[in-house]
Amino acid sequence: MAMSSVTEQPAPPATSPAGRPASMLRSVLSNQNVLLVVALAILVGYFYSRDSVFISTSEIAVLLTNFSTLILLAVGETYVIISGGIDLSVGATCGFAGVVGAFAMRGMVSSHDSEALVLIVGTLVCAAVGIGIGLVNAALMNWARLVPFVATLATLGAASGLALVLSGGVPIGSDSSALGIGADRAGPFPYMFLVVFAIVVICWLYLQLSGYGRYNYAIGSNAFAARAAGINVRRHLTSVYVLSGLLAGLTGMVFYIRLGAGAPTSGDGFELIAIAAVVIGGVSLFGVSGRLTGTILGALILTVVTSGLIISNVSPNWNQVAVAICIAAAASLQALRVLGRRQS
Amino acid sequence: MTDERQPLYEARHIDKNYGSVVALSDVSVSLYPGEVLGLVGDNGAGKSTLVKVLSGVHNPDKGELFLDGTERHWKSPHDTIEAGVETLYQDSGLAPDLTIGSNVFLGREKPKPGLLGKLGFLAQKEMETEALADLERVGITVPPSKRTVSQLSGGQRQAVAIGRAIAWARKVIILDEPTNHLGARQAIEVLSVIQAAKEQGLGVIFISHTLPHVLQITDRVVVLRLGKVVRDAPTSEFDAESLLGTITGLLETT
Repeated sequence: MAMSSVTEQPAPPATSPAGRPASMLRSVLSNQNVLLVVALAILVGYFYSRDSVFISTSEIAVLLTNFSTLILLAVGETYVIISGGIDLSVGATCGFAGVVGAFAMRGMVSSHDSEALVLIVGTLVCAAVGIGIGLVNAALMNWARLVPFVATLATLGAASGLALVLSGGVPIGSDSSALGIGADRAGPFPYMFLVVFAIVVICWLYLQLSGYGRYNYAIGSNAFAARAAGINVRRHLTSVYVLSGLLAGLTGMVFYIRLGAGAPTSGDGFELIAIAAVVIGGVSLFGVSGRLTGTILGALILTVVTSGLIISNVSPNWNQVAVAICIAAAASLQALRVLGRRQS
Repeated sequence: MTDERQPLYEARHIDKNYGSVVALSDVSVSLYPGEVLGLVGDNGAGKSTLVKVLSGVHNPDKGELFLDGTERHWKSPHDTIEAGVETLYQDSGLAPDLTIGSNVFLGREKPKPGLLGKLGFLAQKEMETEALADLERVGITVPPSKRTVSQLSGGQRQAVAIGRAIAWARKVIILDEPTNHLGARQAIEVLSVIQAAKEQGLGVIFISHTLPHVLQITDRVVVLRLGKVVRDAPTSEFDAESLLGTITGLLETT
């Protein structure tokens, strides 16, 4: 059989790495992660210059604890957004799971069960609540045919409302041993952060290197093509919202350990910060493009900015403004880059 | 037309409605091994609906499907792919943000060897190399690169989609407008790729608006009009004018 070529022209030579420093510079600058690392370094340097305590073991530990309350939500959101959806319910899920978990743990705490057992039970309960809300989201999309925005908006309302109803609006439980565990650390690394980070690494590997991650990108890119290739799109999307719910539930447990109680409003507004981390990380809200490393850097930048402002004695009311500036800066940078790529 | 052989793929008395819209009405089509069957008709004649019924995207409301003489009830495209039926959908078969290799292997990814593979990790490099080899085997050469499909030209994209269908097909290939977006030379190359697939004994269903291509490559033509089969005859019985007349209905069929 004759080999025919359907290419229109010989392949253009791949950009030669050496001889063209200008194009190399451009390709480095067009890498979102490089820009994020630079931005992060500048921010850390700035806050350090304001107050050198910013880079101290204890302050880094605080920063990493704050980071732990955000990153799991942002990771779940990354999966969801790449698959072409959105999950607005993660913050409310986190508060609701924390309250339910706190109720489950309260009796055990007062009867002086072992700390480890209490935390294991709490984690399982929080995880189960998160998975449950993920399943509700998926059911609303699969059966009631709601779009992700509306489905997860509904569960946001339901979960945050239920959290308030159940708790009467006050934090549930008072668990000083959980607080102690939350503060335990190896050097600047809280143990809780290390556990959270291990989960993040696993999610990262699965998104970028596994068949599951591949399906996630394929569905976000062209759901029909994915289905036509034999992928069970509905089942995959169900699992993605369950994953997002699970990570939100676990974040509820992170908050519990950090506060020593299950506060119904602990995750309020976090869905938007999580989405902000994803956007800053370079994931398009229209799905598909972007990688989880970007989200990790985005969440880190947001954490550094909010912690840094506190260190610099700026009123916390400015936090939201700072987050807004980060989003606008990152998104416009991304838009300019896309424009530049089209023109070249 | 009567044929002694058993059809490779056969649709009998297919009805398909979208709400109150009748898309297909009592459509029967059979495809034989080593045959290229042309499926033509005006816009809205039901070609793409028939493709989606044959490929398992839609369930017919009525009628039966037989592959190799066995009745089949497809639940999803996954089932047809498993059974050796590959489909190129008009304009929407590839995931533009994935690489060529990821697209060729979409839905049948190769796992890494050993434990990592069991955990779901993919042998990405291997897939990229094999994809290019598979495409080349069916006569399609694309530049080796890590570029995503969206960065390819329209012709290259179409070539990848066709190559993927032909490389994986074991029995039947359904091509919906494969020569769309292609220049004259590329279209000729696609036709030769189809010819090669036919020579291997595969059955090909070729849907096109480009009647010269239909007359050139097909052995038999089925003409659909308003959801019905109005003519099913060997290609040799048509010329450009009579085929067009049959499609539009200006030429009354007997």
